[in-house]
Amino acid sequence: MQPEAAELIVVAAAALAFAVVFAPPSSPRRALLVKGSAGLVGAAAIAAVPTIDLSLLVLLALGALHAAIAGTRSFAVRLRAPVVAVALIGLGVVLVRVAAPDVLARFGAVGLAAGIAAGIGLLPYLHPIEPDEPLTASPVAWLAFLGPVFAAVMVSRAQALLPVDAGAAFGGILIGLGILNMAWGGIASWATENEVAAWRYSFVADWGLALCGFGLTVADGRRAALLVLFSIVIGRLPLYVASRPAIREKNVTRRPLNLVVAAALAGSAPFVGFGARILLLRAATQLFWPLALVLAAGMLLWLPGSLRLGRSLAMPRGRQAFGVALVLAVNVAAGLYPLPLLMAARL
Amino acid sequence: MIAVGAAALAWLGTSLVVSSDGRRGLAAGTAIVTLGMAILALESSGIVAASAIAIGGGVAAARRLASGAVGWDILPPGSTPRLVLCIAAAILAFWVAAGVASGPGAPLRFSVMLVIGLAGARVLASGDTPVLLTAAALLALAVGLGAGLSLDPTTLWPYVAGGLVAAVVVWLPPRSVRAA
Repeated sequence: MQPEAAELIVVAAAALAFAVVFAPPSSPRRALLVKGSAGLVGAAAIAAVPTIDLSLLVLLALGALHAAIAGTRSFAVRLRAPVVAVALIGLGVVLVRVAAPDVLARFGAVGLAAGIAAGIGLLPYLHPIEPDEPLTASPVAWLAFLGPVFAAVMVSRAQALLPVDAGAAFGGILIGLGILNMAWGGIASWATENEVAAWRYSFVADWGLALCGFGLTVADGRRAALLVLFSIVIGRLPLYVASRPAIREKNVTRRPLNLVVAAALAGSAPFVGFGARILLLRAATQLFWPLALVLAAGMLLWLPGSLRLGRSLAMPRGRQAFGVALVLAVNVAAGLYPLPLLMAARL
Repeated sequence: MIAVGAAALAWLGTSLVVSSDGRRGLAAGTAIVTLGMAILALESSGIVAASAIAIGGGVAAARRLASGAVGWDILPPGSTPRLVLCIAAAILAFWVAAGVASGPGAPLRFSVMLVIGLAGARVLASGDTPVLLTAAALLALAVGLGAGLSLDPTTLWPYVAGGLVAAVVVWLPPRSVRAA
């Protein structure tokens, strides 16, 4: 198993443990644990199997099982995204494998990148979201829990499969998708009326950074992508879990804690998102400096949306307050000293 | 020549799945695709691969025969776009598999691309659970068969996994919508 994916599985397991321990009292913990563990096993299987074909088949099975969980969206709506992802990546793999002119491998790269976006639930294939849907059945399960492992595995396997020219095209497509998701997610998390949708778009914006990191074919880009994924799984996801009761009660507060949470969500120093952004800008500067300007401008879009999301957390109390403090502390620790994370992933 | 016939069966079966809404049509389509794919797997990777595809597809077809909308319901009113899709997809897949790509194995390339493309399109165009699960089963078989195009076409795990996923996925319960 690839070290990066193994690390993300461990991080996802930690996020699951957090969700179970610090979930609001009204949440069904047992169901969360069972469904989350099944998802974790599926994610581990995607990473552990030796070929991309087997990863796709595991993804298909996992997607079908996830679609069968009781929720407010229809089975068809929930099955579509993983099936489309498998179809696009499957077509991409076929086009790359056949002996043909280079242009066909580039079409294959398009299929691979589009399939990865569809599987996670990013533009141009955003999964529909219902505010009242349980966390386990909602698109956030793909965006923040299964998606990071899936993306790390698929990007790595796609890069190993693609010839040099098509590999460069693949990187370019990922960067393009990343900037699109970053801009759309940043603006939409600020402008949308619904708080749950705002949280979803904030995940999408973070994914934009991760895709840019994957697309920048230098070590700093990959490091930035890993740190962004870490911040999604161990930062944004637990904070979203903690904010769900307040969102349901439409409870909004403007205390110092909300400002600190907003800073963590916006990726400001000393949180882990800041280190990821610095690495991303450094990688972009190494490859093509105008891209760094575009990314830096895009990063400003996090501010208004994060302030809004920080307020939506309201004022957590008791066990949940401890959970939020723990999340912030872990994010600060990873932001100040990210080396162990990067070394564990051999980056 | 046998491989060309098998590819034609794959196209015919997938077209039947795309153009049918009834359980008999879907089951017959699945069975025909399975037959075509099993022949192609036999030729590229041997008897074990072919058996895995045949068993997985056979279970999926049998399950579909037992559940879903009654009857054949082939080409229901308003299904002209589906027919056009089947023909256009076949032409495109044939051009890529035999015209743009080179080397042996054109029927295998054609079948894998066609079945993946049409199964994906079927999922996008339908909201009916039995139809979706049938398309997902075909997709699993095609992804498994696609391993025949890899550098090591003798590896059997993708075929076994593809057959397994196809056989299991059709048993998922057609429920899941719950009031908030």
